[in-house]
Parts: sequence; C-alpha cells; structure tokens
Amino acid sequence: MEKPELISYFNEATFIPALQSRSKDAALDELVNCFVSAGLVRNGAIVLEMIKRREDLGSTAINHGIAIPHGRTTAAADVMIAFGYSKRGLTWGAMDGKPVHLIFMVLAPPQEQNNKYLPVLGRLVEVLSHPAEREKFTQVTTFAEFTNLLKS
Amino acid sequence: MVEKIKTQIEFLVALQDLDIMLKEIEEVKELGFEVNAEGAATLTRARAELVQNIKKQLLTNYERLRGRYKRAIVPVKEDTCLGCFMRVPTSITAQGRTDMEVLNCENCGRILYWLS
Repeated sequence: MEKPELISYFNEATFIPALQSRSKDAALDELVNCFVSAGLVRNGAIVLEMIKRREDLGSTAINHGIAIPHGRTTAAADVMIAFGYSKRGLTWGAMDGKPVHLIFMVLAPPQEQNNKYLPVLGRLVEVLSHPAEREKFTQVTTFAEFTNLLKS
Repeated sequence: MVEKIKTQIEFLVALQDLDIMLKEIEEVKELGFEVNAEGAATLTRARAELVQNIKKQLLTNYERLRGRYKRAIVPVKEDTCLGCFMRVPTSITAQGRTDMEVLNCENCGRILYWLS
C-alpha cells in the first residue's frame, strides 16, 4: 500500500488537531464520539467497549509519542481512521514512558472485501516510524495540511 | 467493562468483537504492537465477564450461529442482511435501530445489527 492511499481512510469530520481530553480514557471517548458525530458509527458505546478491551490486551502506544488504538467491530461499516493531536501529551502506558501526542484510531468491520485493515495499520506504523514524519504531524492545523503530508 | 453498554444486542456485539480480537492477537503482534504477557488470557477473562450479562437463551443462540456461520451477528445495510443478502422487512428496521431488541434475519437466522 502506498502512503497516499491512506488518505481515503481519513475524514475531515474525524480530524481533531487539538484534543480537549486530558487522559487516555477521555481521549478514546473523544475520538469514538467524533466517529458518531460524523455519522460513521451509530452506537459509540459498542466501539468504545472494543477499543478499551484492546487496550487491556496491551497498550496501543508505539513509542515516540504515538498511539494507534485499533480493532475490528461489528459496528463499523468500513475501515476508517480518526486523528487527534494532544499538545500537552497523554499518559498511555507506552514502553518508552513518553506521553502520547499523536493518536490515530483505526476501526474496521469484521470482514472486508479488500482486506485493507492490516495493511493500513502496517503502513501507518511504518510512516510514523520516521522522526521527520512524526514531527510534521504535530504541526498540522487543518485537514488539507494533514492530507498534504500523506501525499508527499 | 465499559458501563455505557446496556442492552442485550450491545452485549452480544461486544462479545463478537471480543471473539474476533482473540483470533487476531498474533497478527497484531506481528505488526509490532505490544501484547501483555497474559495475552489471550486477559481477553478470555473479559469474555467470561461479558457473557454473564447475556441471557442464557441468547448466548446459546449466538454460540450455535457462530458454529454454523463464521459470524453470528451481521450488519444490516440499506435494509439488507449482509449475511445472506436478503431484504429485511422495513417493519422491523425501526425496532432494530433502537438497539433495544435482539432481532434475527427471517431468512438465515443470523442476529442483525443495524449500521445506520
């Protein structure tokens, strides 16, 4: 999967350049709620349950200030990603102990025709493994700027 | 458990999501995500906790359907059951969207979940 292909899984309505939340749980709630507000998910409680169970399995923080909470849920129609940035940083139980600033929440249905979920997750991890890329994502304030980063 | 889920269909969907997660632990690990030492045991305990909230008859039906089909609960999209692709009567759609009742497809018997 090419990096620009990731753009199609994001949505302006699920792009939060300044998260209000001050804790991990609140941030998960805020991101799930943006899927609901965008009309992409009908029942946020079911999604939140799945996302929190996934965190119980092991932190979704991948170090360097990034977390990718993710999972398949019957409540999702398609693969979709919400982005949130926390300037102050959130405690996420990362292995490196650093607070999380960039959060990419990835939802997927139980079955998809094109099997894009795992490739999307893998590509995100790869893109965010580059320090220069990570830094750029902390600077974006608009969805257009955000998608431009994925085009380059 | 998240206190926000309350109805039987919500508990059933949460159970199916957990069963899917249990199956995909290894794939997630391969991508580099952390999975704690207890791994599947953590989720298995969570599953046991979750099923206590589901009526026995519904749980039996869920397990039976899971054995027969790959997924016991399937989405309804544009009034169509995405398990067997037969149309769902519009008369039950309004009910289904409230998440208050557990409804089955009249054709294939799978449990229905309305996506929108």
